[in-house]
Amino acid sequence: MTEHFGDRDSTPPAAGHDAPPADLAESMRLIAAGRAAAARRLQPDPRLIFWPWAFSWIISFGLYFLHYGPGGRVFVDLPGWVPGATLAATLVGAGVVAGLAGARAYRHVFGNSSIRGAMYGWTWLLGYLAMGVILGRITPDLPAPEAGLLWAAAAVGVTGLLHAAGGAIWLDRNLFALGAWITVTNLAGVLAGPGWHSLVTAVAGGGGLLVAGLLAWRRWRAVTA
Amino acid sequence: MIQVPELDPVIHAQARLRVVAALSALTSGDRIAFPRLQEVLGMTAGNLSVHLRKLEDAGYVEVTKTHHGRTPATLVQLSQRGRGAFEQYTAAVQALLNPAPPSIREERR
Repeated sequence: MTEHFGDRDSTPPAAGHDAPPADLAESMRLIAAGRAAAARRLQPDPRLIFWPWAFSWIISFGLYFLHYGPGGRVFVDLPGWVPGATLAATLVGAGVVAGLAGARAYRHVFGNSSIRGAMYGWTWLLGYLAMGVILGRITPDLPAPEAGLLWAAAAVGVTGLLHAAGGAIWLDRNLFALGAWITVTNLAGVLAGPGWHSLVTAVAGGGGLLVAGLLAWRRWRAVTA
Repeated sequence: MIQVPELDPVIHAQARLRVVAALSALTSGDRIAFPRLQEVLGMTAGNLSVHLRKLEDAGYVEVTKTHHGRTPATLVQLSQRGRGAFEQYTAAVQALLNPAPPSIREERR
């Protein structure tokens, strides 16, 4: 990064830019243009934040459902490791895409937002760490279908609560609604049992992430247009 | 007779209006690095510096010089006063564009 602030004598100010706006409508247009430029550059495209996770859930939990169906049914005979490996790979991919989009938008902006974002990010990490340690201790003693259900339900549960908490932190009703939706559908999936939970997570959870991304993108586009 | 509210001359300038509007989009308490602000606004460094200086002189913008590691950095944010002035300006322009009934106009003054 170079130091620009001191070299103000190097470029003469454009005299026209110091002039008042031609009329009041021009004032409003300049305000809108300044805010739009800031929103476009300083907020990531919400599709890049929500949709990678949506695709990860739809594809991976779809594969879980097809291979580990309700009552032990096998709709599509895949190698047993495929759904888990797909989930791991797509989650990492989603993290990279969403992380890069966020980092690109928030770079060189410092202060309360970055502190808030960092604490929120660490909370996700702590949530998954706690879940992994607790379930790793317990699930070896459970039958495979129940162990799988417990892992999936706990992971989706952490995700739902943190989305809802994100809504509280950023006063974002859609984000809170997404968190509540994921939490409620997760519980419905658990009550329905192993196999069904995968289908519910793929369709309702992944679909919820898709819709949330679409709504956030439309709001973002309205501000940045 | 329509009373025309005074428009703040510091903000009522084409370039500075864009600068203040962009800075107002940051969350209160956030600071943006000078080159990043320049990129957002598409202004030259010299031009942006001149306008920031005027805003700083009016107490509307706070400019902090700091270091990130060994790299010097200039961070810019709207002050509380600047945020208030921008809100007043926007309200005044909106009031002029959509004149309210006289009773409300009296309360506003």
